[in-house]
Amino acid sequence: MMPLTKRIIPCLDVKDGVVVKGVRFKGLTDVGDPPTLAVKYQEQGADEIVFLDVKASLAGVETLRAAVQKTAEQLFVPLTVGGGVRTFEDVRKMLRVGADKVSMNTAAVSNPSLITECAEAFGSQCVVVAIDAKRDGDSWEVHTHSGTRPSRLDAIEWAKGVCEAGAGEILLTSMDCDGVRGGYDIELTRRVARSVSVPVIASGGCGSMEHIADVLSEGEADAALAASIFHYDEHTVLDVKKMLASKGIPVRWFG
Amino acid sequence: MKIAIVDYGVGNLHSISKGLERAGAEARISSSPDEIAEAECIIFPGVGAFGAAMDVLRPAAGAIRSAIEGGTPTLGICLGMQVLFEKSEESPGDGLSVFKGTVRRLNAPRVPHMGWNNVSHTDDDVFNGISGDAQFYFANSFVCDPTEKVTICETVYGERFPAAVRKGVMFGTQFHPEKSGEPGLRLLANFIRISEECR
Repeated sequence: MMPLTKRIIPCLDVKDGVVVKGVRFKGLTDVGDPPTLAVKYQEQGADEIVFLDVKASLAGVETLRAAVQKTAEQLFVPLTVGGGVRTFEDVRKMLRVGADKVSMNTAAVSNPSLITECAEAFGSQCVVVAIDAKRDGDSWEVHTHSGTRPSRLDAIEWAKGVCEAGAGEILLTSMDCDGVRGGYDIELTRRVARSVSVPVIASGGCGSMEHIADVLSEGEADAALAASIFHYDEHTVLDVKKMLASKGIPVRWFG
Repeated sequence: MKIAIVDYGVGNLHSISKGLERAGAEARISSSPDEIAEAECIIFPGVGAFGAAMDVLRPAAGAIRSAIEGGTPTLGICLGMQVLFEKSEESPGDGLSVFKGTVRRLNAPRVPHMGWNNVSHTDDDVFNGISGDAQFYFANSFVCDPTEKVTICETVYGERFPAAVRKGVMFGTQFHPEKSGEPGLRLLANFIRISEECR
């Protein structure tokens, strides 16, 4: 039997209810409507969809929930939602409108017990901790507030800590690589993947299909997240999967 | 057919409800023990933790068990499959015990088992029209260990374990059909057809 397949996850950065894509978290441009794009990727063979609210204001969370609800009506693959989730109640509400998993970053750093509380109520599989990591010499520092605030936490140690607290998955973004399209941070991804026993989703830096192959093999990631290569129709998810299959990387075959 | 989706008060019930709608069935989300016990078909959805779910079910566990054992078609998904067994390592307390066996922690290098996996299924009619190489979406840290012959589908992740079980019109799937694209929707439609036929 084929081993568990590697997941390809298109990410929709959402701001005020529309999908945007940032370059190093700045200079956002509008690229589309969240439910429409999510369904398009589902049809291309996406294994999962991620919505990240990049603005994450209080009013934005309401808009995001509306988009999640509308998307969930037509989506039959898992949907992860992150950004602006601050409390247990925020997580509960997001799951109720149709998210399968909720991703938290700033809230997890300021209140790690939120991870445990959510894992106990909803199960670990619902709790994703997003880690935005920036290289500092030989290590990586965790940043919060959409990458604007250094936390002094070491990314590897923090990753181990969130797993002990009950996180079921880590969404790891290299801030140095994000938006640059020069490839994922292979070393960071591998270091984290080897330090934890939950699945790791690699994010930040995808500019080509080969980058995805690299992070899933050399980077030892369980899943790869990408945005711009899909949004601008450079490649479909199916293109990526064909290429990965040709390299012997197990993927869910579509069609 | 009156279908009840059991509401444990947590998690996403939207997807299973929409999945059943695609299969041509209309379901009601319910946390009322009486309504659940009186339904003509019961779905135990797959989100939450064993203990928290059983806390909601316990006041009506007797009535629900009688309904299931009396032949009400039932589908338990992921955690919903696990609560149909006797006990779980996840939390103390009894499950609904309509399947014999226990639930234990999955033995694999990376847990949860998260993602799309191959399964090997028998020719059980709940898999009608689903190809042998179809993949299903899993998100589980625990697995069922039946002590009776009920396994109709297996998967391998770290170890081999049941991906689906059946006894009469009682079904459990460790994967999430409502999150498994076309093959999953097909399975839900098959389950609804089987349920209709036994009325």
